[in-house]
Amino acid sequence: MLEMRGICKNYGSVRANRGIDLTVAPGRIVGLLGENGSGKSTLMKVLFGIVAADAGTITFKDKPLTGHNPRAAIAAGLGMIHQHFTLVDAMTVTENVMLGLDRDGLWLNPHKVAEEIRATSRLYGLDLDPGSLAGNLSHGQRQRVEIMKVILRGAELLILDEPTSNLSPPEIRGLLDIMRRLREQGRGVIFISHKLDEVLEICDEIVVLRDGEVTGHRAALGATKADLAQMMVGRDVTAALAKSTHAPGTPVLHVVGLSRRDDNCVERLRDISFSLRAGEILAIAGVDGNGQSDLVDVLAGLRTATGGGIDLDGEDITFMPVADRLAAGLAYIPVDRATTSLVPAMSVADNLALREFDRTPFARHGWLRPAAFATHAAERMRHFAIRAAGADVPARTLSGGNQQKIVIAREIGRKPKVLIAFQPTWGLDPGATRFVIDQLLALREAGGAILYLSASLDEVLMLGDRIAVMYGGQLSEPVPRAEADITEIGLMMAGAMPKTKAA
Amino acid sequence: MLSRGDSETRTATTAATLDQMAQTLARLDGLRTFLLACAAVGLALAVTGVLILIAGKNPVIAYWAMIKGAVGTADRLAFALNKSTPYILAGVGVALCFRAKVINIGAEGQIAVGGIAAAFVALYVKLPSMPLIALALIAGAIAGAAWSALAAFIRLKRGVHEVLCTLLLNFVGVLMVSEALNGDMGEPGAGFPQSPLFERAAWLPKLLHGTELHIGILFVIAAAIAGHVLLWRTTFGFRLRVLGASPQAANYVGISAPRCILGVMVVAGALAGLAGGIEVLGVHYRLIENFSTGFGFNAVAVALIASVNPIAVLPAGLFFGFLEAGALAMQREVGVPSSLVFVIQGLTMVFVLCAIGVGARRQKV
Repeated sequence: MLEMRGICKNYGSVRANRGIDLTVAPGRIVGLLGENGSGKSTLMKVLFGIVAADAGTITFKDKPLTGHNPRAAIAAGLGMIHQHFTLVDAMTVTENVMLGLDRDGLWLNPHKVAEEIRATSRLYGLDLDPGSLAGNLSHGQRQRVEIMKVILRGAELLILDEPTSNLSPPEIRGLLDIMRRLREQGRGVIFISHKLDEVLEICDEIVVLRDGEVTGHRAALGATKADLAQMMVGRDVTAALAKSTHAPGTPVLHVVGLSRRDDNCVERLRDISFSLRAGEILAIAGVDGNGQSDLVDVLAGLRTATGGGIDLDGEDITFMPVADRLAAGLAYIPVDRATTSLVPAMSVADNLALREFDRTPFARHGWLRPAAFATHAAERMRHFAIRAAGADVPARTLSGGNQQKIVIAREIGRKPKVLIAFQPTWGLDPGATRFVIDQLLALREAGGAILYLSASLDEVLMLGDRIAVMYGGQLSEPVPRAEADITEIGLMMAGAMPKTKAA
Repeated sequence: MLSRGDSETRTATTAATLDQMAQTLARLDGLRTFLLACAAVGLALAVTGVLILIAGKNPVIAYWAMIKGAVGTADRLAFALNKSTPYILAGVGVALCFRAKVINIGAEGQIAVGGIAAAFVALYVKLPSMPLIALALIAGAIAGAAWSALAAFIRLKRGVHEVLCTLLLNFVGVLMVSEALNGDMGEPGAGFPQSPLFERAAWLPKLLHGTELHIGILFVIAAAIAGHVLLWRTTFGFRLRVLGASPQAANYVGISAPRCILGVMVVAGALAGLAGGIEVLGVHYRLIENFSTGFGFNAVAVALIASVNPIAVLPAGLFFGFLEAGALAMQREVGVPSSLVFVIQGLTMVFVLCAIGVGARRQKV
């Protein structure tokens, strides 16, 4: 029913899709596998008409689909269930389904829609009560409302984007059952996931993407997790960085049994323990959303742990405020430049001093000292080769690479004992990426300890002296780079955790 | 991933182009804002001129009458300056709040309770003139700050949005004036809700002999400068700017948002309360009902027209004061309704906000 041929899409110099073919037949479930940045989302955006492809053709139900927008894609019979739901909490299931269901013209007919919801609910085992408020539903139920929405809009091909990422195991079982019913009813399904178990269990065929290309297309029957992991990450990883080998120093950061529950009592971090030595990079791999942001925020003091402890060079910092951790020698490069690590509307000089603005030499008795800001900025801009029209232009006017240089200059420039770097090369071009990595390595040479988190396995393998994997809020036992088995890491990233420490 | 080459050259070229753009922008930033504000005023006057034409009057004559009415004589000038005083004082506080993205629209209520406190001191405390005035103004500022802090507490402890709690406390504050005047502070047998006239000792000294110009304008200049210094030269101002630009960044830096919000609300409330005290001691010499009507709205308008720069609140507030002072003259001499002045105020605000909206992404904090 769906045939995508030779889809190409470039974002600037990034080739997100290079000649991808994807075919889905009615009553088939196709698994779409790939790491972050492998081109899955771009492909789906092209299919849905959110972005236009540079080359390639799409045929859906024997009709060409070109130059369309999402509305046309829905009208043609495509339905997308995003990771983030779009439900109105204060409305009932019926009312939520009716939003965007404009086939009845001007008049609303809630009773008819409610009846349809009941019928469809029985048919697919969705188990939804049309009268309940969306706000009172569990995550899994909310997802089923989204599925209901696209079915009633007449979707014949459903695209589920990482649908199991926030579900509990029983909810996952339920979802897989629903997908089987969809298949029985002759609808096509594209199942986007990182989780190899689920893909192997439910899919008829599996398409693996890597770096914008199809690297594998095979029937699910007979495929093994090892095969798939190899196809996902298999690449020449021998080109490791010319990195000096030196024995790491004494441990500076101890994390013991660190746990965190969020406000909804969902466990974000489970009993994480590791230690980090001076002059060492501990690289943590993992698919986004497995607790990495919670871990870095708890370490940096932006969120509070609900259990366990953090010890920085003999000092218990578990409940220390952000500013004091900074003074204790903990630096942090957050992932989000646009809103967190930089204030784009403030000047380069302000941003370079952003985390120390109220300490000497930048301030005295509550008064700012502009001269100190200027001297500091001039020195850092020269040392880190930050290209800007001056120290007083807004940071926003700099290129992404130069913005990140500001962050690097600020966090590394103060020679921290421990640096937490969360995807510091995100969105940077190759030149800027190299700069960031060189700076990290220089800090390592100088005896700094670095905790490096990335969704890119390449970088993790390239930089890490020891490597661990984060999955579902847990951290695997770190292993030295030389002993790391890439297939095993791929498996762990997808949810098989052979080396998980016993609690 | 690590190959150097053409991509780096391209990055360098792009960076150079960005550099040039940034340089040009930085130079134009201040001038640009000023010109935009002037253009907005001009546009508002032009549109209102058309309205005057439609009403069958000559806009040039009407505007001339208005200018003469505002600055024609020393008395008129004094009247206009006195009128600007509360707008600017409260406007500086509002501008500081808006910088931190705290939408404080409670100036009206803060002015009202400031007026009550100042009047209370003026009526019941026996002191020589200077200490009495100082005590009355301090009492006004403290009352305004307390009123504002109350809104901040409701915001921080109960999570009620500050727009709602400051707005609602306005009604309470204004009605408290009526309550006071209908009770012990009212003048017996006056027939109008007002307090007895204060002793002369409590009247604000005049700045210019023979005119009504009181020393309030000195507070205004000091407040605008102090607001500017606070925002750009102190760590507190730095915190406000970071918090307003990005709450996530403020969290990352370790800035306490609740302390900033409470702090800036107290500062704004004190300025508004001071404005209330000055109005009562300098213009009416008594507390009267509804003396603060419209002040809160004008303070917000003035802060916005100044694109939330405390120092720019000064010209913006003067503009509003002069417009209103000239309005009556225009009505008297040309027969154009003075309410057209509100049209000019409203249009100016709309045009300035449109211009700011266009340039918002270029603003530097």
